[in-house]
Amino acid sequence: MSVMLTKFESKSNRVKGLAFHPTQPLLAAALHNGSVQLWNYRMGVLVDRFEEHEGPVRGVAIHPSRALLVTGGDDYKIKVWDIRPQNRRCLFTLHGHLDYVRTVQFHHEMPWILSSSDDQTIRIWNSTSRNCIAVLTGHSHYVMSAQFHPKDDLVVSASMDQTVRVWDISGLRKGSPGSGGPGGGGQGSGPGTFETFDSFSTVKYVLEGHDRGVNYAMFHPTLPLIVSAADDRVIKIWRMSETKAWEVDSCRGHFNNVSSALFHPKHELIVSCGEDKTVRVWDLAKRTAIQTFRREHDRFWVLAAHPNLNLFAAGHDSGLIVFKLERERPAFSVHGDMLYYVRDKYVRSYDFNTGADIGLLSVRKFGSPYLPPRTLSFNPAERAVILTISSDGGMYELTGLPQQAQGDVKDSSVDGKKGTGQSAIFVARNRFAVLNKATQIIEVRDLANAVVKTIKPPVQTNEIFYGGTASLILSSLTSVVLYDIQQQKTIAEINSPPVKYVIWSGDGALVALLSKHTITIANKNFSTHSLIHETIRIKSGAWDDTGVFIYSTLNHIKYCLSQGDHGVICTLDNPVYLTRVKGKTVHCLDRSARPRTITFDPTEYRFKLALLRNNYEEMLYIIRTSTLLGQSIIAYLQQKGFPEIALHFVQDTNTRFELAIECGNLDVAMETAKEIDRAECWERLAQQALKQGNHKIVEKAYQQTKNFDKLSFLYLATGSTDKLSKMQKIADARGDPMSRFHNALYAGDVQGRISVLRDVGLHPLAYLTAKTNGLDELAEEILEAAGLTEADIDDVPSFPASNLKPPPIVTSTTNLNWPAISAGENFFDRALAEGSLEGGVEPAYVNGDAVAGASALDAWARDEEVQLDIEPEEGAWELDADGGEFEAAEEEAEEAVVEEELGAGATPGVSETELWVRNSPLAVDHVAAGSFESAMQLLNRQFGVVNFVLLKPLFLSIYRSSHTYLSPVASLPPLHLHIRRNPAESSPSRVLPVAVRSLQSIRSELAEGYRFVSGNKLVEAQTTFRSVLHALLLVVLSSDDEAKLWRDTVTAAREYLLGVSIELERRRVAEAEPDNVRRNLELAAYFTQCELQAPHMQIALRSAIGVFAKANNQAHAARFAKRLLELKPDPKIVAQARQRIAAGDRNPRNAVDVSYDEFTPFEICAVTYTPIYKGSPAVHCPYTDASFLPQFKGSLDPLTQLTEIGAPASGLPASW
Amino acid sequence: MDSSEIYHVKQQFILGAYKSLVALTLPDPNSPDYTPTLLYQARAHIALNDPDSALRLIPAGSDNVAVKATASLAKYVAASGSASKDAQEASLEELRDLAVEIEGDDAEGSDSDKALVRVLAGTAFTRAGEIEEALETLGVDTEDLEAVALIVQIYLSINRPDLAKKQFERSKRWAEDDLLLQLIESTIGLVTGKDGYSNTSSFYTEQLGNPSLTSPHILTARGVTRILRNEIPEAKSDLEESLEQQKGDAETLAALVVAAGLGALKKAETEELWTRFVSEHPDHPLVLDVAAKESLFDECVAKYEVPALAA
Repeated sequence: MSVMLTKFESKSNRVKGLAFHPTQPLLAAALHNGSVQLWNYRMGVLVDRFEEHEGPVRGVAIHPSRALLVTGGDDYKIKVWDIRPQNRRCLFTLHGHLDYVRTVQFHHEMPWILSSSDDQTIRIWNSTSRNCIAVLTGHSHYVMSAQFHPKDDLVVSASMDQTVRVWDISGLRKGSPGSGGPGGGGQGSGPGTFETFDSFSTVKYVLEGHDRGVNYAMFHPTLPLIVSAADDRVIKIWRMSETKAWEVDSCRGHFNNVSSALFHPKHELIVSCGEDKTVRVWDLAKRTAIQTFRREHDRFWVLAAHPNLNLFAAGHDSGLIVFKLERERPAFSVHGDMLYYVRDKYVRSYDFNTGADIGLLSVRKFGSPYLPPRTLSFNPAERAVILTISSDGGMYELTGLPQQAQGDVKDSSVDGKKGTGQSAIFVARNRFAVLNKATQIIEVRDLANAVVKTIKPPVQTNEIFYGGTASLILSSLTSVVLYDIQQQKTIAEINSPPVKYVIWSGDGALVALLSKHTITIANKNFSTHSLIHETIRIKSGAWDDTGVFIYSTLNHIKYCLSQGDHGVICTLDNPVYLTRVKGKTVHCLDRSARPRTITFDPTEYRFKLALLRNNYEEMLYIIRTSTLLGQSIIAYLQQKGFPEIALHFVQDTNTRFELAIECGNLDVAMETAKEIDRAECWERLAQQALKQGNHKIVEKAYQQTKNFDKLSFLYLATGSTDKLSKMQKIADARGDPMSRFHNALYAGDVQGRISVLRDVGLHPLAYLTAKTNGLDELAEEILEAAGLTEADIDDVPSFPASNLKPPPIVTSTTNLNWPAISAGENFFDRALAEGSLEGGVEPAYVNGDAVAGASALDAWARDEEVQLDIEPEEGAWELDADGGEFEAAEEEAEEAVVEEELGAGATPGVSETELWVRNSPLAVDHVAAGSFESAMQLLNRQFGVVNFVLLKPLFLSIYRSSHTYLSPVASLPPLHLHIRRNPAESSPSRVLPVAVRSLQSIRSELAEGYRFVSGNKLVEAQTTFRSVLHALLLVVLSSDDEAKLWRDTVTAAREYLLGVSIELERRRVAEAEPDNVRRNLELAAYFTQCELQAPHMQIALRSAIGVFAKANNQAHAARFAKRLLELKPDPKIVAQARQRIAAGDRNPRNAVDVSYDEFTPFEICAVTYTPIYKGSPAVHCPYTDASFLPQFKGSLDPLTQLTEIGAPASGLPASW
Repeated sequence: MDSSEIYHVKQQFILGAYKSLVALTLPDPNSPDYTPTLLYQARAHIALNDPDSALRLIPAGSDNVAVKATASLAKYVAASGSASKDAQEASLEELRDLAVEIEGDDAEGSDSDKALVRVLAGTAFTRAGEIEEALETLGVDTEDLEAVALIVQIYLSINRPDLAKKQFERSKRWAEDDLLLQLIESTIGLVTGKDGYSNTSSFYTEQLGNPSLTSPHILTARGVTRILRNEIPEAKSDLEESLEQQKGDAETLAALVVAAGLGALKKAETEELWTRFVSEHPDHPLVLDVAAKESLFDECVAKYEVPALAA
């Protein structure tokens, strides 16, 4: 035990009381200044403060299941608080103690509160009735602590009177049944009437032994032990039986008053603290000190243990610390589908596929018994492991693992090779590297533990990791170095905080370097890398098969893409250590090193990954199947520069408009602008359209905003003369002279210009304009109108006639928009319009249906989030189950396409049959869709069918019955219509073909076969059963119940087919080889071993009785007769059977020796018709599970004549 | 506006009552109804796959473009029966010429004649598999409902119900509640299966109650709809009733085969029905399709090696 890991520390007034929340990362601290603090120790934030006590608060406890806090202070009061943030308040105060309250505690099941006080009493309160229901008197000095027993009705108390007392409070439970209910128990008894309670509780033991006052005492969680801490600097352990209690031993070591001593909730340890400023850990069994943690200035006053986790809290003079005693991260290593890890000092293997979890090797004798190994490195070639442990200054051990789990787990000390070193890993099949931190030497050793090479690392190395072939990764304080062992040189170096863990991707192309708060993703030669920062501690990580790194922090599972994008997958209650990610499942080890799996929804990161890799098919597939919607994905797409993709998701008009503007999709922008119809939108649209040279839209936008000036100018710019003249008229109508003038100017309309000028009284300008444009007459007129003559203005210089004209129209821009580069046919436009993606192969495991593994956070934990991330189930993706909204988007996309396609030929869409194939894993649906090839593949894979010829009529009739034709329009080829299973379902992603044969109809065919058997038409029966088995291959099932019925039907048909075949063979033998009595008898006997229904079993048995009796095998015949009687046949048959039994009794012998042992269970080989007794090797038909002798593996099954015996098969897929 | 006689004739044509339409006596050659009735009758003959009768009916040497187009279609259908490529191509060329001719500004003929030419040409092109050309000729922005019906079926046949719906929505604006429009809607319903084929089903049920005509085709259509709705016994009764009225109708028989396969008949009866159907209508798409699947099956089977039977 060399570590005591401090997880959290706070500075405050002296801490006198501490209590952990049982489920949430909360810790209550009672302070000497009268405040009670509630800390979230994981996030390191003060969550709440309760300040109503006057004077110091010493006792504090949190209710084991409810959001309640109880505190007791020097104001003699006990207060109960509701700690839920929304209604935090003091619920009630319990008055009664006459001096300081030292400790308080909730009972684990009764509504009781236990308190101890300097008034020398211990009291029990009913928190429902809020009355004191018992007062335990007897201590003759301050009672320093009182604790309930974790199970029994006992209380242990410690007092300054130097005693520890155990109280029996069972009377309280029995004696006052009403005490649990409201108002029960103490109705007539107010506080102070102590006498009433004394009969309920009695002192059971008084433990004397401490020489000074005792500060604390508690029961062991499971054993009959008590630990006490006293001012005599001694910790005492006491044992108790039913009748007595006695001192067991003392732990000495503290050199000042011991404030508190606790049993470790899980391990055989005691943790204590005292005024000597130390926290000490003791071995409970040996009573020896294991570890001491010293503090410079602060005396420790109180200790608390978390009820479930390896966490402790200690309160001292200036605050509190939360610590754990050991690293919880289990040492593990993943190879292929196997996880090798250490739990409870055993190396175990865990198979990700089967979940098999086997102990392989004990490492109990390796290093300190209190410390688990720190790392494990696995060598698959040699099936060996190297473990390191940090005890004894750091050591390693190399051991081979047994090939298979054996009864006696081997101990590593037998042949393990040890050495010192802080870090040890395999670097090659027969080499491992060991780092000695102190000497800064890396030794490369062979499997015999002999040094073959010594390396001086180029940097101060704290830890080494595997760095790829013949390379090491060296972690130093400020960087990681990729180091070539062969050439002894640095290949690359990346600056990084100390790297603690290194995880290679499955293909070895990428590596994740984990530090406390950063992840560096690098390629294998460190030439490119990206860095991710986390505010919360990073715990572990694993690579997804697609190259996504999934990692866990203290409270989240997150993903990170190789370019550095990351996000939350789900939240965690407690940290886990990820080992492997497979599809939607995360395999991990929890804090107690137990393998666990978490299912999550990979949609978000898979989508992002697809985006990153431009894998539009997959994106589209995700869009289709998961209905991705919501702000975050839009924001993401926008941010990543894919507004045109985001556009496909958005329905909100405003957002659509924004996106459309951003990606320059003017059509959509126009459409949405129309809907929004606000001036600013039109203006922005106009701007964007202007940029793109789409003046028609600009025109529209200007029109909408009545921006006449710009409109006129636009017309001028595009050379739209007729529109300009219209604008002139509009300006006239508006009576806006400036606009009229502009338009006249733009249009080159001199007359118009003059008339404007005249209208507004600007005669000089009008005159000059007329004059310079050679309109002398008009000029005269103006002059006249102004009442002037030519002579009056001879001082006006004369200008030469103007030859300025509006520029001629070179290109009739009016009629054409500025050609824009076609963005190409957007993949999404096309795919969405077509209603499907072409050749869309379903990506391996993308789906939106998985339930995210995130557990709902409660009010507290949510506070921690601090909007760091969006929870997957809330904001992020809105994985909407119904596709309705998406369909709308689909239609919109179509709109755009259709416009182009009008006139041209439309491209064909996806046919219904393709949808069927896509929507179903059932062979029968593929047959109905006419996709025979895939149907055969499915049958082959699911049931090992190889001989399809026999299924041809079935295939064809199913296909034929799944489609129909109708010609609604004269003379056109008829429409090919497809019959669906559920006419109410028309969504393309769910349509399935009609179920041509129902399970019911096949069962009635089976019944027909039964009738043939009854009617002794065995050949027909054989054909029928075979056909039933064929038909069952191609039947639609829709529920587990149906699947079970299906399996039963298959089995029944198989048994009958087998039975009938045996009987037919018997008849053939009887006919062809009349001398072969033995075989005849055997076959008759085997027939009775098939699982037949009672009436048919009777037939089989009677036939067997007849044959055996005839052959004079009376004993056997009698046995069959007995079996016959059990079936309760006709009275007539009963009589015959009894005769047979009597005959057997008279003559219990068998004339012919047959191979038939009815007492050992056996299966019948369906080829040879010979028994395969239980335990003998057999192979099976992958479809019917019929048994065969091993030599028939790979042959065609003679029963169904369809399958290959012993072929691997996956079985019926559950598609419902 | 059509006269009531013409309206009735048209209704019969639309609803597939070709037999009763063919049986009508033509009005007086001078009546304005004469040519339209004649055309519908001729088209009914073609629809019944009896182009020769149509050709006999059509007066040779008519200048009317619609009449000429009908004759060309009849020739085309006749030729496709004989599998003579040249004859087919020749009649397609005629239709192409006509289609071009009516585009000219000075082309003769009324608007409705021109529309009919397009419909007939479109029909022939579709039959020839020239879907693009058919759509081009019909014009996807046409305001002729017959053309729309054709376009819709073309779209449906290439699995583009979305486009078909668009056409329908577009037509709703100007065609109001025309019978043909309802038929178009129901046809789309047949393919998309919206609301469990309820629209289609009620359309055909409604038309069955139409007092002014009886058409076994509607019965067949409802039978097919009922098959699609998985109402097999009901479908069977519709189809059988339809067969009583028109013995040996390929379409009805084909549907009955399907219904039989879905449990309307026993297995042996179904197979017998099927064998008969195959021999009587070897050219029906169902037969051809199944035959294609049969060879596909053989092809696929060949990929699997069958081990020896265990013995």
